[in-house]
Amino acid sequence: MTFARGFAAEVRKGLLDLAAGWREVLIQMVTFPLFYLLIVLFMGGGQLRADLLAPVLLGMVALTFIHEQVNRVFWSYLGDIQSGVLEQTYLTPLPSASLILGRQVAAAVSALPTALAVLATGATAIAVQGGRMPVDAQVIVPLAAIVLGTCGLALILCGLALVFRRIEIITQLSVAVYAIAGGTLVPLAAMPDAVAFLSRLVVPIAPGIEAMRDILLGGHALVSLPTGWGLGWLLAQPLLITAAGVVLFNRFERLARRRGTLGRP
Amino acid sequence: MIEIEALTKVYGPARAPAVDEVSLYVPRGSVFGFLGPNGAGKTTTIKMLAGLITPDSGRVRLGGYDVARQRSAAMAQFGAVLEGSRNVYWSLSAWQNLMYFGRLKGLRKAQVAERAEDLLTDLGLWERRDDKVGGFSRGMQQKVAIAAALIAGPPIVLLDEPTLGLDVEATRTVKNWIVEQARELGTTILLTTHQLDVAQELCDRVAVMRQGRLVADLPTRELLARFRERDRYEIRVEGAAPPGFDAVARDGVTTISVRVSDPIEVYEVVERLRAHGAVIESLTQVQPGLEDVFVSLLNEPSHAA
Repeated sequence: MTFARGFAAEVRKGLLDLAAGWREVLIQMVTFPLFYLLIVLFMGGGQLRADLLAPVLLGMVALTFIHEQVNRVFWSYLGDIQSGVLEQTYLTPLPSASLILGRQVAAAVSALPTALAVLATGATAIAVQGGRMPVDAQVIVPLAAIVLGTCGLALILCGLALVFRRIEIITQLSVAVYAIAGGTLVPLAAMPDAVAFLSRLVVPIAPGIEAMRDILLGGHALVSLPTGWGLGWLLAQPLLITAAGVVLFNRFERLARRRGTLGRP
Repeated sequence: MIEIEALTKVYGPARAPAVDEVSLYVPRGSVFGFLGPNGAGKTTTIKMLAGLITPDSGRVRLGGYDVARQRSAAMAQFGAVLEGSRNVYWSLSAWQNLMYFGRLKGLRKAQVAERAEDLLTDLGLWERRDDKVGGFSRGMQQKVAIAAALIAGPPIVLLDEPTLGLDVEATRTVKNWIVEQARELGTTILLTTHQLDVAQELCDRVAVMRQGRLVADLPTRELLARFRERDRYEIRVEGAAPPGFDAVARDGVTTISVRVSDPIEVYEVVERLRAHGAVIESLTQVQPGLEDVFVSLLNEPSHAA
């Protein structure tokens, strides 16, 4: 019960932060769709090509989640470490990883307005081009896999922040690398085999994006995904990344307790 | 109660221990002063007590629960305001902070709400409960931090520099509140402060740390009494002081300061003054303050607790 109350409190705090930062959300709701349209324009040699709009749209939605979940959680966590508030959350009976997962839920919810804005922009652009945005409920599974896998990544980055100073660059770099290596803009099938292999293995959003494209653009069923490593890996990869995140976070946390770096200016 | 047994922490192999075999016992319902200069090891000790730093050896028990082995139960006994930290979220209101920390402590919403109302009312913040803490004065922020530490009604509270940077009014509120918590509710309070007058006023017992070690751990009165052997006496005489006395003259009255190791020596000084024809107005024993004791302890080569 204590766990549930603490978890709910963390989610609520995250949503209060979201409400307090509504201007920031509003800016993202404009800039992300604009970024999406610009990418399609560049890739299409100055034209919003119909064959690029939908594939890039799906990558962009995934990118919105990883951006929000990693950045929002990491920066708020780092801020709490530096201001000393994080130490107060350790003076509770709760396991600290549960509070990070609470932050993740709030961050995933925070990503929704921007993701919806990108989707609406994409759907409009597709309609203008005479097409129709494909819809299939099965897409919820890869979307959930993306959100879960990103939780694992955020746990690892937060764990690193507990121990090392100036870890910000790793976070910025990792989001940039995942944006490219995750197949958000260019499908993994068009990348060198070694890069595609590594991306499917460790990039939290890669299997999800491939599955979304297979389902929505290829019309395939979840159980018979033709690209990538299939449904089994789509489900296993985020679970493995999250498990690795919990293990690594706990190790970094123990190290931080030994070094006395849980709270530092 | 708080039990600390032989707590030791070394941050690096080539460095001196930050905390070296420190043992303490703080009984229930007492206000315990934990003093020492910067770098003495107070913060490391406090953070080990709170489970924020893992000790190399030794043990901490809060309310009978081992912090290392029974963390959840130990933390349920405990609330803290840490120095140099915000302690609460400035982006949230006072009310939202208390609801958040209360829920983290495992309380039901209704329980937190009732407790939060009491605390905010007691600390004079009820009218400002919906304002963001970031917009509060330093004193009000400190009060919110104290309220957050107490939201679950913990039997043990750690206050690290609770009156630092507060104005006179806010300091008085916090001091009164500390006394009330300990005397009326039986809360065990561990207080660290550089304001020694505050420690002397509030603490039943005082421990002093220096270079990672305890150099004193005694009831405040006893600690002060130990240094009474070096008490000073002030003798006020009319007119000028006879030659050979350390004196300060103000408004026609001269105050002669005498430091003795045996009270009998004071009478000898009085006789000498009378022999010089001095008219003695008063003779007062100057009690040492905690500040005098603190400085003496830190200047001594070593001092047994």
